[in-house]
Amino acid sequence: MSRVARSSPPPPGPRRPFRFPDFRRERLANGLELVVAAVGAVPLADALLQIPAGADRNPLERPGLAALTASLIDEGTALRDGPTLSGTVERLGGSLATRADWNGAEVSVEVLARDLATALELAAEVARQPVFPPHELERLRRQALTELLRRRDQPAVLAEEALSSALYPGTPYGALILGDETTMAALSRADVVAFHEGFYRPSGASLVVAGDVEPDAVRTLAERFLGDWSAPEAALPIEVRPATRAARQVVVVDRPEAAQTELRLAHPGVPRTHPDRTRLGVLNALLGGKFTSRLNLNLRERHGYTYGVSSRFVDRRGPGPFVVAAAVGNEVAGAATGEILLELDRLRQDAVESEELAETRDYLLGVFPFTLQTHSDLLGRLAELALWGLPDDHFDRALAAVAATTPDDLLTLARRHLDPDHATVVAVGPAATLEPQLSRHGEVRVVRI
Amino acid sequence: MTAAQGFPILRHRLANGLRIVLQPDSRLPLTAVNLWYHVGSADERPGRTGLAHLFEHMLFQGSLNVGTNDHFRHLQRVGGVANGSTWYDRTNYYETVPSEHLDLALWLESDRMGFLLPALDQHKLDTQRDVVMNERRQRVDNQPYGRPYERLFELLVPPGHPYRWPVIGTMDDIASATLEDVRAFFETWYVPNNAVLTLAGDFDPGAALASVERWFGELAPGPRPQRDSFALAPLDAAVAETVEDSVQLPRVYFAFRIPPFGDPEWFASALLANLLADGKSSPLYRDLVWERQLAQEAACYVYPTAQTGFFIAIATARPGVEPAALADALRGHLDRAARPLPAADHERALHRTLVELWEGLETADRRADQLSMYATLFDRPELAWDEPGRYTAVTAEAMAAVAAERLGADRQVTLTVLPRSAQR
Repeated sequence: MSRVARSSPPPPGPRRPFRFPDFRRERLANGLELVVAAVGAVPLADALLQIPAGADRNPLERPGLAALTASLIDEGTALRDGPTLSGTVERLGGSLATRADWNGAEVSVEVLARDLATALELAAEVARQPVFPPHELERLRRQALTELLRRRDQPAVLAEEALSSALYPGTPYGALILGDETTMAALSRADVVAFHEGFYRPSGASLVVAGDVEPDAVRTLAERFLGDWSAPEAALPIEVRPATRAARQVVVVDRPEAAQTELRLAHPGVPRTHPDRTRLGVLNALLGGKFTSRLNLNLRERHGYTYGVSSRFVDRRGPGPFVVAAAVGNEVAGAATGEILLELDRLRQDAVESEELAETRDYLLGVFPFTLQTHSDLLGRLAELALWGLPDDHFDRALAAVAATTPDDLLTLARRHLDPDHATVVAVGPAATLEPQLSRHGEVRVVRI
Repeated sequence: MTAAQGFPILRHRLANGLRIVLQPDSRLPLTAVNLWYHVGSADERPGRTGLAHLFEHMLFQGSLNVGTNDHFRHLQRVGGVANGSTWYDRTNYYETVPSEHLDLALWLESDRMGFLLPALDQHKLDTQRDVVMNERRQRVDNQPYGRPYERLFELLVPPGHPYRWPVIGTMDDIASATLEDVRAFFETWYVPNNAVLTLAGDFDPGAALASVERWFGELAPGPRPQRDSFALAPLDAAVAETVEDSVQLPRVYFAFRIPPFGDPEWFASALLANLLADGKSSPLYRDLVWERQLAQEAACYVYPTAQTGFFIAIATARPGVEPAALADALRGHLDRAARPLPAADHERALHRTLVELWEGLETADRRADQLSMYATLFDRPELAWDEPGRYTAVTAEAMAAVAAERLGADRQVTLTVLPRSAQR
């Protein structure tokens, strides 16, 4: 038998202090925000140029335009062709990437810190001076059309597409970021040029740098490569109004031979800047945001329905979706949906026990330093401040708000922001098996692909 | 670029044979705890595949003093992040905790190393079998090219060699695993003298070692498990097969046997893989994706496996491109690699590899895992800091020699995946 007292967990030692790393935040004369953190653990530096030219700016009839534009800006500038751009940074050991998501377009570079000047020069060049060579447009169009063709192989993408069109019809959020076959085939170089001229500009944009750097030197580089970038402010994105729904609905996307079902339950959530957003993070962690969440302990550990289930409030400028996601056995999709609905209802009916809240709260507070281990982690956090216009002490305030959350708060939040009775359920899998199981959860519409 | 000076390490061995590696670093108030058991899917037998991985799941189902699901609950309660993973050669368990909770992590790991069996029961096994079958569906059966990738290894590895079957195991074997299998597996492999425990992060080495001794010191050693290990010579003759899957685009896989992880030739192969296909300025991307537009994507990589290594090249055809034409183009790059390739490509591959290594050293959990790996496989944790030097030492001639001797057309497994006929 054991000579050591093992029957209960050992008490913690003295707490070691943590404070958010120092950073410098300022604005250049042209409106570009500059955020810099010097962290020198390894001789690397990351830079991220965020531009408010995301998919939420897509004209309704042109989904995919923001993504195509972002993918083209590093395929040729007034000074260099695409292979020279990527070759220059990659020979230094670095990488250069461009993309658009719902909230913005991004140019990101990762290099050895000694090569930061080259990296920033190239990042500024692709944002400011792309020339959109017609042959590159055609190549990337074909590539995008091929990716759209391949979504038939990817049940998770099919699920996302079905959800977007069900939740946000008639808005930019109603399509995939990549767009669809019809519009991707029709986008013209003039569309891309107009999108770039309309939205790639310094006001509302930010440059975030983290790594083994010197803030004054970064400021000098930012002024040199981006200081003379000027353009008037762009129009605001149109306001996204989600569809309202009288009852729960079920969409089955038929993949007759699928070995498993990709299951989603979702409804519109809140904009990132909603005052409840931070405390909704506590509610979500308890529901489906950690391994020991109610959903995971139920669907995975109690029933074995899935390898994992999670929930999240997706952050967007407009009301992004609240989504529960799991890949489940085909024959248990109906039962799994029932358990998800049950967990949402429970949160709306009964206040959580204070012990369960404490577990969740202490997890979120304790895990925060873990999410800041690398210079890239820190860059991501600082990019959030810039993107959402949050104050410098946002993370301290958010942690304090988490610490102060009560069971009553969660009950109020659940009743306000979880709406299982009007949710949309999407199941991608064999319709013949799924339809009979899911009809008790709402009217079923089957989509054939 | 050597990192060794920045990351001093201490080594120790308990009387029961448990090897300890300590790597103190006080930049963040966190400690990574990483435990490698020297057992993986390569220690399974046909008919019982997937047992090492299913067993990993059972290690999160509680032990004598830890309730079902309480492993995660205790750790998450203090802001800890925990998981485990199974590979051909090892199973690892790890958690990063705020440093004041180091004893909690050691208590949990020592309880399941020493006192797992009293907590095992059939119901837990049944549930985790269902979870793992769903994991297999999610990772393999419901993934495009998932089943063909398993076929590739059946062509590459002969019957009787344990790298032939997938780490997660076959569905039938997962379904038929018994509680007796699980018990026997534990008693054979989960002994202190078959494990390495690494701590990396913000702790006092003396106090930490005392804690380790306190929690693990009384656990009894077992017989040191024996394992057969054999490297595979390159294939004598080319092998080719075509299969169908429910996919939209044809794909071509090439696979080759190379020396095991740690061998100078393995590092040359890994650098060559990066040279050929890492980045938009790599030859494969430039030629197949950008210029000739035969491929939607292309990749090369090596397996860091201990008995014998593997080199894999993949290209996915654009719509309308014949897989044979794509295979010829891909083969052409490997043929050219049998002579020294341009210095600019070599330079890019080396620099990108070094940057990737630096990134890997930035977190305590990654450092701890690397140290555990080198301690487990070579009994020399300090080799973890030598990787930049190993890659830097690779010459253009060494890469050409690997391509000539290991990646020849006559040593190649070719697997062509076509969209299922009904869908064409």
